[in-house]
Amino acid sequence: MPNPSPRSHLYRLGGLLVIGLIGFLAVKALATPSSWNHEDWYRGDSPKEIAALPLSYGGNESCQGCHKKTHDQVEAFGHKGLSCESCHGAVVDHAGDGKKIADAKVDMESNWQCMNCHEDQITKPKFFPTFKPTKTHEDVDADMLCSTCHEAHNPGL
Amino acid sequence: MEKQKWNLEPDSRREFLANLVSGAATATVLMVVGPGASADHGVGGHSKKHRDLVYVINVNNCIGCGNCVRACKRENSVPSEYFRTWVERYVITKKGIYVDSPKGAIEGFKKINAAIRSESQLARTIPKMCNHCDNSPCIQVCPVGATYRTDDGFVLVDHEHCVGCAYCVQACPYGARFINPEKKKADKCTWCYHRVKAGKLPACVTVCPNKARMFGNLHDPDSEVAKVFKEDRWMTLRPEMHTHPYCFYVGLPREVR
Repeated sequence: MPNPSPRSHLYRLGGLLVIGLIGFLAVKALATPSSWNHEDWYRGDSPKEIAALPLSYGGNESCQGCHKKTHDQVEAFGHKGLSCESCHGAVVDHAGDGKKIADAKVDMESNWQCMNCHEDQITKPKFFPTFKPTKTHEDVDADMLCSTCHEAHNPGL
Repeated sequence: MEKQKWNLEPDSRREFLANLVSGAATATVLMVVGPGASADHGVGGHSKKHRDLVYVINVNNCIGCGNCVRACKRENSVPSEYFRTWVERYVITKKGIYVDSPKGAIEGFKKINAAIRSESQLARTIPKMCNHCDNSPCIQVCPVGATYRTDDGFVLVDHEHCVGCAYCVQACPYGARFINPEKKKADKCTWCYHRVKAGKLPACVTVCPNKARMFGNLHDPDSEVAKVFKEDRWMTLRPEMHTHPYCFYVGLPREVR
Protein backbone atom coordinates (compact mmCIF):
# COMPACT_ATOMS: atom_id res chain seq x y z
CA MET A 1 0.00 0.00 0.00
CA PRO A 2 1.50 3.32 -1.06
CA ASN A 3 2.03 5.96 1.59
CA PRO A 4 -0.78 8.53 1.66
CA SER A 5 0.19 11.94 0.40
CA PRO A 6 1.36 14.19 3.25
CA ARG A 7 -1.18 16.79 2.01
CA SER A 8 -4.20 14.47 2.00
CA HIS A 9 -5.79 16.20 5.02
CA LEU A 10 -5.70 19.45 3.05
CA TYR A 11 -7.35 17.80 0.05
CA ARG A 12 -10.11 16.45 2.29
CA LEU A 13 -10.69 19.89 3.83
CA GLY A 14 -10.72 21.52 0.39
CA GLY A 15 -13.17 18.91 -0.87
CA LEU A 16 -15.50 19.53 2.05
CA LEU A 17 -15.36 23.29 1.45
CA VAL A 18 -16.23 22.83 -2.23
CA ILE A 19 -19.15 20.52 -1.36
CA GLY A 20 -20.33 23.02 1.28
CA LEU A 21 -20.12 25.90 -1.19
CA ILE A 22 -22.07 23.97 -3.82
CA GLY A 23 -24.69 23.05 -1.20
CA PHE A 24 -24.99 26.66 -0.04
CA LEU A 25 -25.37 27.96 -3.59
CA ALA A 26 -27.98 25.28 -4.38
CA VAL A 27 -30.06 26.11 -1.28
CA LYS A 28 -29.72 29.84 -1.99
CA ALA A 29 -30.86 29.39 -5.60
CA LEU A 30 -33.88 27.35 -4.48
CA ALA A 31 -34.81 29.73 -1.65
CA THR A 32 -34.57 32.92 -3.74
CA PRO A 33 -37.92 33.69 -5.40
CA SER A 34 -37.70 33.71 -9.20
CA SER A 35 -38.81 37.32 -9.47
CA TRP A 36 -36.30 38.58 -6.89
CA ASN A 37 -35.18 42.15 -7.49
CA HIS A 38 -31.47 42.05 -6.65
CA GLU A 39 -31.01 45.77 -6.99
CA ASP A 40 -33.64 46.87 -4.47
CA TRP A 41 -33.80 43.56 -2.62
CA TYR A 42 -37.43 42.46 -2.77
CA ARG A 43 -39.68 39.94 -4.52
CA GLY A 44 -40.63 41.55 -7.83
CA ASP A 45 -44.09 39.95 -7.92
CA SER A 46 -45.07 41.42 -4.56
CA PRO A 47 -46.15 44.91 -5.73
CA LYS A 48 -48.21 43.31 -8.51
CA GLU A 49 -49.97 41.09 -5.98
CA ILE A 50 -50.72 44.04 -3.69
CA ALA A 51 -51.96 46.13 -6.64
CA ALA A 52 -54.39 43.33 -7.56
CA LEU A 53 -56.24 43.51 -4.21
CA PRO A 54 -59.96 44.31 -4.55
CA LEU A 55 -61.24 47.86 -4.01
CA SER A 56 -64.06 48.58 -1.56
CA TYR A 57 -64.51 52.34 -1.87
CA GLY A 58 -65.22 53.67 -5.34
CA GLY A 59 -65.35 57.43 -4.80
CA ASN A 60 -68.26 59.65 -5.86
CA GLU A 61 -67.80 58.72 -9.53
CA SER A 62 -68.97 55.19 -8.73
CA CYS A 63 -72.27 56.52 -7.31
CA GLN A 64 -73.22 58.87 -10.13
CA GLY A 65 -74.16 56.11 -12.55
CA CYS A 66 -77.39 55.54 -10.61
CA HIS A 67 -77.59 58.58 -8.30
CA LYS A 68 -76.58 61.49 -10.54
CA LYS A 69 -79.57 63.58 -9.46
CA THR A 70 -78.92 63.15 -5.74
CA HIS A 71 -75.21 63.78 -6.27
CA ASP A 72 -75.86 67.05 -8.11
CA GLN A 73 -78.31 68.07 -5.39
CA VAL A 74 -75.68 67.51 -2.70
CA GLU A 75 -73.10 69.42 -4.74
CA ALA A 76 -75.40 72.48 -4.75
CA PHE A 77 -75.60 72.78 -0.97
CA GLY A 78 -73.62 72.81 2.27
CA HIS A 79 -72.41 69.24 2.10
CA LYS A 80 -70.79 69.74 -1.32
CA GLY A 81 -67.46 68.04 -1.85
CA LEU A 82 -68.36 65.39 0.69
CA SER A 83 -67.89 61.79 -0.32
CA CYS A 84 -71.14 59.77 -0.46
CA GLU A 85 -69.23 56.92 1.17
CA SER A 86 -68.34 59.08 4.20
CA CYS A 87 -71.89 58.55 5.49
CA HIS A 88 -73.26 55.68 3.36
CA GLY A 89 -70.30 53.30 3.62
CA ALA A 90 -68.30 51.47 0.96
CA VAL A 91 -69.88 51.05 -2.48
CA VAL A 92 -69.09 47.32 -2.65
CA ASP A 93 -71.43 46.73 0.29
CA HIS A 94 -74.22 48.43 -1.67
CA ALA A 95 -73.81 47.59 -5.35
CA GLY A 96 -71.98 45.17 -7.60
CA ASP A 97 -72.06 44.64 -11.38
CA GLY A 98 -74.42 47.61 -11.71
CA LYS A 99 -76.99 46.02 -9.40
CA LYS A 100 -78.01 46.85 -5.86
CA ILE A 101 -76.90 44.29 -3.27
CA ALA A 102 -78.04 45.97 -0.06
CA ASP A 103 -79.30 49.32 1.15
CA ALA A 104 -76.59 51.92 1.71
CA LYS A 105 -78.28 52.90 4.91
CA VAL A 106 -77.56 55.87 7.08
CA ASP A 107 -78.54 55.52 10.74
CA MET A 108 -81.68 57.64 10.95
CA GLU A 109 -82.65 56.36 14.41
CA SER A 110 -79.92 58.27 16.23
CA ASN A 111 -77.80 61.35 15.77
CA TRP A 112 -74.40 59.69 15.94
CA GLN A 113 -73.56 60.09 12.26
CA CYS A 114 -74.36 63.81 12.41
CA MET A 115 -72.64 64.39 15.74
CA ASN A 116 -69.60 62.43 14.63
CA CYS A 117 -68.62 65.51 12.65
CA HIS A 118 -70.71 68.28 14.13
CA GLU A 119 -70.42 67.77 17.89
CA ASP A 120 -69.03 70.87 19.57
CA GLN A 121 -65.51 69.96 20.69
CA ILE A 122 -62.40 71.98 21.52
CA THR A 123 -60.41 70.23 18.83
CA LYS A 124 -62.66 71.37 15.98
CA PRO A 125 -61.42 73.97 13.48
CA LYS A 126 -62.65 77.49 14.25
CA PHE A 127 -65.07 77.83 11.35
CA PHE A 128 -66.42 74.32 11.26
CA PRO A 129 -70.20 74.32 11.92
CA THR A 130 -70.90 72.54 15.20
CA PHE A 131 -74.09 71.91 17.14
CA LYS A 132 -74.42 74.44 19.96
CA PRO A 133 -77.46 74.59 22.22
CA THR A 134 -77.89 78.30 21.61
CA LYS A 135 -79.97 80.59 19.40
CA THR A 136 -81.81 78.39 16.90
CA HIS A 137 -81.22 75.26 18.95
CA GLU A 138 -82.68 76.62 22.21
CA ASP A 139 -85.90 74.61 21.91
CA VAL A 140 -84.24 71.35 20.86
CA ASP A 141 -84.82 68.39 23.19
CA ALA A 142 -81.94 66.08 23.99
CA ASP A 143 -83.60 63.13 22.25
CA MET A 144 -84.65 65.03 19.14
CA LEU A 145 -83.26 63.81 15.82
CA CYS A 146 -81.25 66.24 13.68
CA SER A 147 -83.17 64.88 10.68
CA THR A 148 -86.42 66.28 12.11
CA CYS A 149 -85.37 69.69 10.80
CA HIS A 150 -82.25 69.07 8.66
CA GLU A 151 -82.09 67.10 5.43
CA ALA A 152 -78.61 65.59 5.23
CA HIS A 153 -78.31 66.17 1.46
CA ASN A 154 -79.26 69.83 1.98
CA PRO A 155 -78.39 70.54 5.60
CA GLY A 156 -79.20 74.27 5.65
CA LEU A 157 -82.64 75.19 6.97
CA MET B 1 9.18 17.22 1.30
CA GLU B 2 10.93 20.35 0.27
CA LYS B 3 10.69 23.11 2.82
CA GLN B 4 8.61 26.13 1.98
CA LYS B 5 10.84 29.02 1.05
CA TRP B 6 9.61 32.44 2.09
CA ASN B 7 10.85 35.11 -0.23
CA LEU B 8 11.74 37.88 2.15
CA GLU B 9 14.49 39.53 0.19
CA PRO B 10 14.74 43.31 0.81
CA ASP B 11 13.17 44.25 -2.56
CA SER B 12 10.07 42.18 -2.09
CA ARG B 13 9.62 43.35 1.53
CA ARG B 14 9.65 46.95 0.34
CA GLU B 15 7.07 46.05 -2.30
CA PHE B 16 4.91 44.35 0.34
CA LEU B 17 4.96 47.38 2.64
CA ALA B 18 4.15 49.71 -0.24
CA ASN B 19 1.14 47.54 -1.16
CA LEU B 20 0.03 47.49 2.46
CA VAL B 21 0.08 51.29 2.72
CA SER B 22 -1.73 51.84 -0.58
CA GLY B 23 -4.36 49.22 0.35
CA ALA B 24 -5.03 50.86 3.71
CA ALA B 25 -5.30 54.26 2.04
CA THR B 26 -7.88 52.95 -0.47
CA ALA B 27 -9.93 51.34 2.33
CA THR B 28 -9.92 54.56 4.34
CA VAL B 29 -11.06 56.61 1.35
CA LEU B 30 -13.91 54.13 0.70
CA MET B 31 -14.99 54.24 4.32
CA VAL B 32 -15.07 58.05 4.47
CA VAL B 33 -16.65 58.72 1.08
CA GLY B 34 -18.91 55.67 0.99
CA PRO B 35 -20.01 53.78 -2.09
CA GLY B 36 -23.34 55.67 -2.35
CA ALA B 37 -21.87 59.13 -2.03
CA SER B 38 -22.21 59.92 -5.70
CA ALA B 39 -25.86 58.75 -5.93
CA ASP B 40 -28.40 61.28 -7.19
CA HIS B 41 -30.35 62.33 -4.09
CA GLY B 42 -34.12 62.83 -4.29
CA VAL B 43 -36.08 65.84 -2.99
CA GLY B 44 -34.91 66.13 0.61
CA GLY B 45 -34.34 62.41 0.68
CA HIS B 46 -31.76 59.71 0.43
CA SER B 47 -33.09 57.35 -2.21
CA LYS B 48 -31.64 57.40 -5.66
CA LYS B 49 -35.10 57.40 -7.23
CA HIS B 50 -37.11 60.47 -8.11
CA ARG B 51 -40.28 60.73 -6.06
CA ASP B 52 -43.56 62.39 -6.98
CA LEU B 53 -46.27 61.08 -4.68
CA VAL B 54 -46.76 62.72 -1.30
CA TYR B 55 -49.36 62.52 1.42
CA VAL B 56 -50.33 65.74 3.19
CA ILE B 57 -52.28 65.99 6.44
CA ASN B 58 -53.71 69.42 7.22
CA VAL B 59 -54.16 69.30 10.99
CA ASN B 60 -56.10 72.58 10.91
CA ASN B 61 -58.87 70.85 8.94
CA CYS B 62 -59.13 67.63 10.94
CA ILE B 63 -62.40 67.36 12.86
CA GLY B 64 -61.60 64.00 14.47
CA CYS B 65 -64.64 62.21 13.03
CA GLY B 66 -62.82 58.92 12.48
CA ASN B 67 -64.21 58.39 8.97
CA CYS B 68 -60.67 57.66 7.75
CA VAL B 69 -60.11 55.01 10.41
CA ARG B 70 -63.38 53.25 9.54
CA ALA B 71 -62.69 53.42 5.80
CA CYS B 72 -59.18 52.03 6.25
CA LYS B 73 -60.55 49.11 8.27
CA ARG B 74 -63.12 48.31 5.59
CA GLU B 75 -60.83 48.78 2.61
CA ASN B 76 -57.89 46.80 3.97
CA SER B 77 -59.68 44.29 6.24
CA VAL B 78 -57.59 45.41 9.21
CA PRO B 79 -58.22 43.13 12.23
CA SER B 80 -60.08 44.67 15.15
CA GLU B 81 -57.94 46.32 17.84
CA TYR B 82 -55.29 47.07 15.17
CA PHE B 83 -54.98 50.16 13.01
CA ARG B 84 -53.16 51.12 9.85
CA THR B 85 -54.23 54.70 10.47
CA TRP B 86 -55.54 56.28 13.65
CA VAL B 87 -56.28 59.72 15.07
CA GLU B 88 -54.75 61.12 18.25
CA ARG B 89 -56.19 63.98 20.28
CA TYR B 90 -53.68 66.40 21.78
CA VAL B 91 -54.91 68.84 24.42
CA ILE B 92 -52.14 71.17 25.49
CA THR B 93 -52.55 72.87 28.89
CA LYS B 94 -50.19 74.70 31.23
CA LYS B 95 -50.09 71.64 33.50
CA GLY B 96 -49.28 69.15 30.81
CA ILE B 97 -50.22 67.59 27.51
CA TYR B 98 -53.15 65.19 27.37
CA VAL B 99 -53.02 62.66 24.54
CA ASP B 100 -55.65 60.02 23.84
CA SER B 101 -56.89 57.92 20.97
CA PRO B 102 -59.84 55.81 22.13
CA LYS B 103 -59.99 52.71 19.87
CA GLY B 104 -57.85 54.62 17.37
CA ALA B 105 -60.77 57.09 17.09
CA ILE B 106 -62.73 54.59 15.02
CA GLU B 107 -65.87 56.00 16.66
CA GLY B 108 -64.56 59.56 16.76
CA PHE B 109 -64.01 61.30 20.09
CA LYS B 110 -66.26 61.86 23.08
CA LYS B 111 -66.17 65.32 24.64
CA ILE B 112 -63.11 65.73 26.82
CA ASN B 113 -63.81 66.27 30.53
CA ALA B 114 -64.65 69.78 31.67
CA ALA B 115 -61.55 70.23 33.85
CA ILE B 116 -59.14 69.68 30.96
CA ARG B 117 -61.39 71.56 28.57
CA SER B 118 -61.31 74.67 30.74
CA GLU B 119 -57.50 74.66 30.87
CA SER B 120 -56.93 73.90 27.22
CA GLN B 121 -54.59 76.25 25.39
CA LEU B 122 -54.45 74.34 22.15
CA ALA B 123 -56.39 71.24 21.12
CA ARG B 124 -55.99 69.35 17.87
CA THR B 125 -56.76 65.94 16.44
CA ILE B 126 -53.75 64.50 14.60
CA PRO B 127 -54.23 61.70 12.04
CA LYS B 128 -51.30 59.30 12.01
CA MET B 129 -50.17 56.49 9.75
CA CYS B 130 -47.12 55.06 8.00
CA ASN B 131 -44.95 57.94 6.83
CA HIS B 132 -43.51 56.06 3.82
CA CYS B 133 -40.06 57.35 4.74
CA ASP B 134 -37.39 57.74 2.14
CA ASN B 135 -34.78 56.56 4.64
CA SER B 136 -36.94 53.89 6.22
CA PRO B 137 -35.68 52.15 9.36
CA CYS B 138 -38.11 49.27 8.70
CA ILE B 139 -36.51 48.48 5.34
CA GLN B 140 -33.04 48.65 6.86
CA VAL B 141 -33.79 46.14 9.61
CA CYS B 142 -35.80 43.58 7.62
CA PRO B 143 -33.57 40.48 7.49
CA VAL B 144 -35.32 38.82 4.54
CA GLY B 145 -36.17 41.71 2.20
CA ALA B 146 -39.90 41.42 2.87
CA THR B 147 -40.37 45.16 3.25
CA TYR B 148 -39.26 47.40 0.45
CA ARG B 149 -39.81 50.66 -1.38
CA THR B 150 -41.35 50.61 -4.83
CA ASP B 151 -39.99 52.80 -7.62
CA ASP B 152 -42.78 55.32 -7.01
CA GLY B 153 -42.14 55.58 -3.29
CA PHE B 154 -44.61 53.24 -1.59
CA VAL B 155 -43.15 51.33 1.34
CA LEU B 156 -44.83 47.92 1.19
CA VAL B 157 -44.75 44.61 3.03
CA ASP B 158 -44.51 41.31 1.13
CA HIS B 159 -46.74 38.99 3.17
CA GLU B 160 -45.51 35.96 1.21
CA HIS B 161 -41.93 36.61 2.17
CA CYS B 162 -42.31 38.10 5.67
CA VAL B 163 -41.24 35.79 8.51
CA GLY B 164 -43.02 37.81 11.21
CA CYS B 165 -39.91 38.56 13.27
CA ALA B 166 -41.25 42.04 14.15
CA TYR B 167 -37.88 43.81 13.90
CA CYS B 168 -39.62 46.39 11.73
CA VAL B 169 -42.36 46.90 14.33
CA GLN B 170 -39.68 47.91 16.82
CA ALA B 171 -37.71 49.94 14.31
CA CYS B 172 -40.55 52.22 13.20
CA PRO B 173 -40.31 55.49 15.16
CA TYR B 174 -43.95 56.27 14.34
CA GLY B 175 -45.49 53.06 15.72
CA ALA B 176 -47.12 52.53 12.34
CA ARG B 177 -46.48 48.77 12.14
CA PHE B 178 -48.01 45.79 13.90
CA ILE B 179 -48.02 42.02 13.56
CA ASN B 180 -51.29 41.01 11.93
CA PRO B 181 -52.75 38.45 14.37
CA GLU B 182 -54.47 36.51 11.58
CA LYS B 183 -51.61 36.33 9.09
CA LYS B 184 -48.77 36.51 11.68
CA LYS B 185 -47.02 38.93 9.35
CA ALA B 186 -45.99 42.55 9.63
CA ASP B 187 -48.76 44.88 8.51
CA LYS B 188 -49.10 48.61 7.93
CA CYS B 189 -50.56 51.34 5.74
CA THR B 190 -49.79 50.92 2.02
CA TRP B 191 -51.12 54.37 1.00
CA CYS B 192 -53.77 52.10 -0.57
CA TYR B 193 -51.30 50.98 -3.27
CA HIS B 194 -54.03 48.88 -4.94
CA ARG B 195 -56.33 51.92 -5.14
CA VAL B 196 -53.70 54.33 -6.40
CA LYS B 197 -52.66 51.84 -9.10
CA ALA B 198 -56.35 51.67 -10.13
CA GLY B 199 -56.45 55.46 -10.45
CA LYS B 200 -58.26 56.16 -7.16
CA LEU B 201 -57.25 58.03 -4.03
CA PRO B 202 -56.44 56.16 -0.81
CA ALA B 203 -59.64 55.19 1.08
CA CYS B 204 -58.93 57.59 3.97
CA VAL B 205 -58.47 60.51 1.56
CA THR B 206 -61.66 59.53 -0.31
CA VAL B 207 -63.89 59.72 2.76
CA CYS B 208 -62.25 62.63 4.61
CA PRO B 209 -65.09 65.17 4.91
CA ASN B 210 -63.00 68.28 5.56
CA LYS B 211 -59.95 67.89 3.29
CA ALA B 212 -57.64 67.18 6.19
CA ARG B 213 -56.06 64.37 4.19
CA MET B 214 -54.63 64.92 0.73
CA PHE B 215 -52.67 62.73 -1.62
CA GLY B 216 -51.18 63.62 -4.95
CA ASN B 217 -48.27 64.47 -7.18
CA LEU B 218 -45.84 66.94 -5.70
CA HIS B 219 -44.72 68.04 -9.17
CA ASP B 220 -48.19 68.55 -10.66
CA PRO B 221 -48.81 72.32 -10.20
CA ASP B 222 -52.61 71.83 -10.19
CA SER B 223 -52.64 69.28 -7.36
CA GLU B 224 -53.73 70.23 -3.84
CA VAL B 225 -50.50 68.91 -2.38
CA ALA B 226 -48.38 71.11 -4.67
CA LYS B 227 -50.11 74.21 -3.26
CA VAL B 228 -49.06 73.18 0.23
CA PHE B 229 -45.43 73.06 -0.86
CA LYS B 230 -45.77 76.36 -2.68
CA GLU B 231 -46.79 77.97 0.63
CA ASP B 232 -43.89 76.13 2.25
CA ARG B 233 -45.60 75.63 5.61
CA TRP B 234 -45.19 71.90 6.03
CA MET B 235 -43.60 69.84 8.78
CA THR B 236 -42.85 66.18 9.30
CA LEU B 237 -43.15 64.02 12.39
CA ARG B 238 -39.89 63.43 14.27
CA PRO B 239 -37.52 65.10 11.81
CA GLU B 240 -34.71 64.40 14.30
CA MET B 241 -34.91 60.72 13.33
CA HIS B 242 -33.68 61.56 9.78
CA THR B 243 -36.21 59.17 8.26
CA HIS B 244 -37.26 61.69 5.57
CA PRO B 245 -41.01 61.01 5.70
CA TYR B 246 -43.12 61.55 2.59
CA CYS B 247 -46.14 62.17 4.81
CA PHE B 248 -46.19 65.90 5.45
CA TYR B 249 -48.16 67.83 8.06
CA VAL B 250 -49.59 71.34 7.93
CA GLY B 251 -50.34 73.13 11.22
CA LEU B 252 -48.69 70.50 13.37
CA PRO B 253 -48.35 71.71 17.01
CA ARG B 254 -44.73 71.41 18.12
CA GLU B 255 -45.81 69.25 21.07
CA VAL B 256 -46.87 66.41 18.77
CA ARG B 257 -44.54 63.41 18.73
